[in-house]
Amino acid sequence: MISFIGRSIVQKIITLFFVSIVSFLIIHLAPGEPSQVDPMNPKFTREMVERFREEFHLDKPLYRQYLYFYRDLFSGKTISWKDNQPAFKKIWERFLNSLPLFIVGTILTWTISFPVGIRSAIFRGGIYDRSATFFSYLLISIPGFFFAYILIMFVVNQFHVPVIGMETFGIGETSGFNRIMDRIWHLLLPSLLGATAGIAVLSRFVRSQMLEVEGQDYVRTAKAKGLAPDQVHYKHALRNALLPFVTMFGLILPGLIGGSVIIESIFAWPGMGRMAYEAILARDYPIILTLNFVSAVLVLIGTFISDLLYMVVDPRIRL
Amino acid sequence: MTTKRILILAPLVLTVILLQSYLWVPTYEEQAKGNPQRLHQYINASIGDAAILNPILSADSASSEITDKVFEGLIDRDEELRFRGRLAASWDISEEAFFYVNAATDVPGLDQVSPRAIIDLIQAARNQKARFSAELQKTLDNIVTVSLVSARTERVTEQIRDPSDDQKTQKIDITISAPARIKLYLKTVDQDLFVHLSQILGKNYFNSFDGAKFLVTTPAVGTDQLNALVQKFLPAVEHNPIIEFQLRPDVKFHDGHSVDAHDVKFTYDAIMHPRNLSPRVSSYEPVKEVLVIDPLTVRVIYKRLYSPAIGSWAMGILPEHLLNDAALKKEALALGKDLQSFSMRQSGFNRHPIGCGPFVFREWVSDQYIFLDRFDEYWEGPPHYEKYVFRVIPDLLTQEMEFYAGTIDSYGVQPHQVKRLKDDPNFQSFSGTSLGFSYIGYNVRRKPFGDRRVRQALSMAIDVNKIIEYVLYNQGERITGPFPKQTDFYNPSIEPVPYDPEGALKLLAEAGWNRNDQGWLEKNGQRLQFKLITNNGNDIRKAILAIAQDSWKQIGIDVRTDLVEWAVFIQERVNKLDFDALVLGWSMGIDPDLYQIWHSSQTGYNQLNFVGFANNEADDLIIKIRQEYNHAQLVEYCHRLHDIIANEQPYTFLFVSRWTAILDKRIVIKEFDDQANIAYRKITPTKTGNYTFHFNKWIKLAQAPEFAP
Amino acid sequence: MEHTNTDMHDNQLDEPLAPKRTRLEEFWRLFKQNRLAIAGMVFFIVFFFLAIAGFTLTRGNTPVLDPALVRLQDKLRPPLTRPNLERLRPHEIPKLGIYIFGTDDLGRDVFARMLQGSWVSLTVGFVAVGISVLIGIFLGGIAGYYGSRPIRIGQLLVLAFLFTGVVLLINKLIWAGSVVLIGSAVCILISIQIKKAASAKSRSAAARLWNFKTISIDTVVMRFVDIMLCFPSFFLILTVVALLPASIYNIMIVIGLTTWMGATRFVRAEFLSLREQDFVAAARALGLSNFRIIFRHMIPNAVAPVLVSATIGIASAILTEAGLSFLGFGVPPPHATWGNILSDGKRFIFDAPWLTFVPGIAILIIVLSFNLFGEGLRDVLNPKLRERN
Repeated sequence: MISFIGRSIVQKIITLFFVSIVSFLIIHLAPGEPSQVDPMNPKFTREMVERFREEFHLDKPLYRQYLYFYRDLFSGKTISWKDNQPAFKKIWERFLNSLPLFIVGTILTWTISFPVGIRSAIFRGGIYDRSATFFSYLLISIPGFFFAYILIMFVVNQFHVPVIGMETFGIGETSGFNRIMDRIWHLLLPSLLGATAGIAVLSRFVRSQMLEVEGQDYVRTAKAKGLAPDQVHYKHALRNALLPFVTMFGLILPGLIGGSVIIESIFAWPGMGRMAYEAILARDYPIILTLNFVSAVLVLIGTFISDLLYMVVDPRIRL
Repeated sequence: MTTKRILILAPLVLTVILLQSYLWVPTYEEQAKGNPQRLHQYINASIGDAAILNPILSADSASSEITDKVFEGLIDRDEELRFRGRLAASWDISEEAFFYVNAATDVPGLDQVSPRAIIDLIQAARNQKARFSAELQKTLDNIVTVSLVSARTERVTEQIRDPSDDQKTQKIDITISAPARIKLYLKTVDQDLFVHLSQILGKNYFNSFDGAKFLVTTPAVGTDQLNALVQKFLPAVEHNPIIEFQLRPDVKFHDGHSVDAHDVKFTYDAIMHPRNLSPRVSSYEPVKEVLVIDPLTVRVIYKRLYSPAIGSWAMGILPEHLLNDAALKKEALALGKDLQSFSMRQSGFNRHPIGCGPFVFREWVSDQYIFLDRFDEYWEGPPHYEKYVFRVIPDLLTQEMEFYAGTIDSYGVQPHQVKRLKDDPNFQSFSGTSLGFSYIGYNVRRKPFGDRRVRQALSMAIDVNKIIEYVLYNQGERITGPFPKQTDFYNPSIEPVPYDPEGALKLLAEAGWNRNDQGWLEKNGQRLQFKLITNNGNDIRKAILAIAQDSWKQIGIDVRTDLVEWAVFIQERVNKLDFDALVLGWSMGIDPDLYQIWHSSQTGYNQLNFVGFANNEADDLIIKIRQEYNHAQLVEYCHRLHDIIANEQPYTFLFVSRWTAILDKRIVIKEFDDQANIAYRKITPTKTGNYTFHFNKWIKLAQAPEFAP
Repeated sequence: MEHTNTDMHDNQLDEPLAPKRTRLEEFWRLFKQNRLAIAGMVFFIVFFFLAIAGFTLTRGNTPVLDPALVRLQDKLRPPLTRPNLERLRPHEIPKLGIYIFGTDDLGRDVFARMLQGSWVSLTVGFVAVGISVLIGIFLGGIAGYYGSRPIRIGQLLVLAFLFTGVVLLINKLIWAGSVVLIGSAVCILISIQIKKAASAKSRSAAARLWNFKTISIDTVVMRFVDIMLCFPSFFLILTVVALLPASIYNIMIVIGLTTWMGATRFVRAEFLSLREQDFVAAARALGLSNFRIIFRHMIPNAVAPVLVSATIGIASAILTEAGLSFLGFGVPPPHATWGNILSDGKRFIFDAPWLTFVPGIAILIIVLSFNLFGEGLRDVLNPKLRERN
């Protein structure tokens, strides 16, 4: 166990190192320069551009830039080129904005997929199963922004309430409870849209896991000895079918830093996805690279946790 | 089964919680019509957030929207585009001119060239000017004083670029032993001063002055570099225009500190400070020095003639007491930052600005909103709106929906929406000519664009009126040259290129291009074929791309098109001059300075004359325009330059778009007449098309008033 | 005589069993039961023919239906309207005599654009997924088949020399680059020498060091997969697309290059289990070459589930392209794709809703049918999930 943890940590650190190199290369070797060095502005002289490049270390060889960047990153001194704000502070603010979306989206995904998936498995091939299949695929087949626009137009025209932003604009003055409810309302549509794909995929997965377990001998035995069907499905089968899902908890982690650009743009949600997207367009390298690094760390921690969980819940696995 | 019940109940409960929140949300009616506070706020939606709220550091339009409200400059432009005093109550432009006493030449009527003798000669000429031509008389009249600057000797060290290696610089010690100079003080700026004076001092007096004789460098440098140094330290003649601003007394920053000449000087110093990396340096580069004469008088002396310079003083003035070295040091200490590297760029001021404009900054939440309150002690009287709100809504469609619902007052409305909303009784619409134009530029270095006839033919083959009618919904005007259409500099007598595909074919036939049996234009077996590119993310340019491709195909030109991401487009294609033709736009200032875009010295890599336009007469005019302070003269030069460029057609000048805006009809101008009675007036754009010109007087009423037609 | 005997013997054995079906028949029997999948397949086939029709009808200099023909006079006409014949020049009159899906903001025929788009979207989907599946099979196959083989120090040296050499050459250090490249050639020679020496059974310490085992190929490949998985995939695509010049090829390549990780893992897992199976052991015992074992015996057995995920992959590639179009990084004009018709149309959603709904619903139907088809295939091919009845 200990040796597994140790080995795995070393492996992950090596992976992280390569990730840092690859992301750095992708961004720096690609054409384009930070928007501060706007070459189309007639007011910018060559000297100005050079001074900017010097300030951002862009005039140094790549390996030096790499070292500078990661030195700043680990000492927490990275600042965004766009507005000179510390990168971690910016990311943290956005993270706090994205977090409610993520939490509600995840809860929606997990609470809805399980009952749907289990029921589909129990009534396999029936009308319920087929319509659930159909709808879950329908959900992942709609282009996200098309769906979002239709939903927004529907809600706004039917109910005359705002749906964009994190809260109704200017609600700051009202009482606490109203405000909380208002926030929940604003969470509803974007988190639902964010969760659709998850619901569809996860409920399919729950279904197939359940089907696999239901075919096992011990479930048949349980059925044969005359246990109530609910008892069989929810106690014997479900518990065993849950095994792989435990490990998925670890894999949720990277989703924290994700956030969909498209949904955030449409809903005017000041989240991480939009920040990252704007950083890419403005070639704000420090923000892009810091985000990338943080998300890589989360992915690695996530897989690590899921490996560990796997070991804990399934005694057959010895890594 | 508990598990089953939980599994079924959990999503149900969750759904109920989420859906019931609807009951608590204020509807649009409650927010807009039902909220009396709403009348006192002006909410403007923007696609992107501001970057940095410091007028000397920001370069994006969202930031300047806010800084324009929070900060105030010395001057700005009025409804007729003339300069108008803001912080400056008045200003005065004069000139100091210098020339060296050139002992090496003969001056008619003088035995020996000495400083005294030259002064006497000029003085004498001023007393009996009737002898001279009218232009010289005018020049002599303009001279206020003539004085002597004695000879000087000085040592300086210069960093110059190594000619063989662009990256390296070289240190040079220079010893200058300059002869005496004559200083002339002029009432107004006169770019022809020395041309006219040479009628008295001899034709070769000025150009025979050899500065290199008075300058010694160690180590020795090449001829080119020596000439550059002579130009810098010992120019035969020198124009130093002077602007003296008289500041308005009793103007206060939002924190109560009064605005004085030191703040103006500080703002200039901050722009020029290398560490601040201000993107505005180039506008102030011609400034020699800024002097504080007294707390309300500031004098700006320029190194050379540069007529657009005065426009740069519309820049917002920073409060010195909050941003000087002592203040920055204190901030750095408080934040625990490195004192050495802490500059104005890192200061918290950029996210919490304090200026002296009509609105006080209150709050900024990144990517959501910026709140401004009105400044009750604004020198011109406070604005009517109590709050100005800047809201970030990145999606155009949701912006539009919020606008209908009345939760925002203005947004970036698009032509096709204006068409739909124009007749709506709830809205008023404005439109006016904007300050930028769209064009198709041809890389004249490449075949076949080197031939003027081809360029003209390409222009003739495109039906621009049709583009304006259908793509812009008539929200655009034809343009024939590079000057802003609403200014005097634009030459209205030039006719736009007609849409004439037959004529285009004729011109192309003259240039040797004929249609082959498949209908393609050919010359010596080569098909007329090129690639037209533009940047992505601009729907109108994309439409132009498609239309141009289609129209040229009609006359047998094989055009490919490509859309390129902005940064790549600029850096890989435009800056490296790697394109055949491109669709692009310039957004212009009002100043007629075209040096960077049209002068033939600006055709290299990374420069803005990327089409490679070169014309001697045009070059000459561009320089003259930069140096002319007299408006009428300026207009004359500009009209000629416009004519040349239109005739050469290095661009197909397409159109200047009309900006459009839609506002609620209930927003009006509120004014007081002589008896202090309130009078409402409809918002009308100024002659130059700025509808927000009177923004400080705007107010939203509960009911739209009836105006006499 | 003997032959007939055996045949008869076989027949006798077979007779009591169910009538014999080929694999395909069996497959079809099972597949038929899934009506959704059948519907998906029908749409899949229809779409395929549409795409081919789109390709033939809209290509060339004077296509039957010209998707790029601008008719500004006839802009934003609703579906099923007739063109305004007086205002059109002769060559501008649509051949069909009617705008089935209306016209867009430049007066281009949306029907023609949808047809062309079906071809382009299909190509984008197929090529992108093709790339990712090929990479997946290649890397997954190597990792699964040769997995446990270690990489030796000597091989590492060769690779290191090669890599630095190429990097130096790219940085225009011709001399240093060439020297390092020669170094790698020398390493190869040394390896050959040592191999010969080894066969002569005289192993020096240096030779042992040279052949020292480091990490296995499997580790390298799977770590590489891990590295790629560390980038959020839509962002990786967005970064690369934003940084590369937009073209239809780049979009395909980028989507392909950023989605191969799943296929690799899949193939590796399949190979790992196939490798242990008897028929592979038998093939090896017969002395077949690795190449032959992989290509003739293992890939055909591993490829079915990969193809299933490829079907769904095509669907998601079409969606990804639409998402990129929304952000302005999709396939650039003059190519029309359903994604860019949709995102161009969204500006006009109040003025011309058909510009949004026609492509939106078309994408929905096609992606849905791909997904259902893929799901049906998966159900049939996965015996574990087969119903026991």
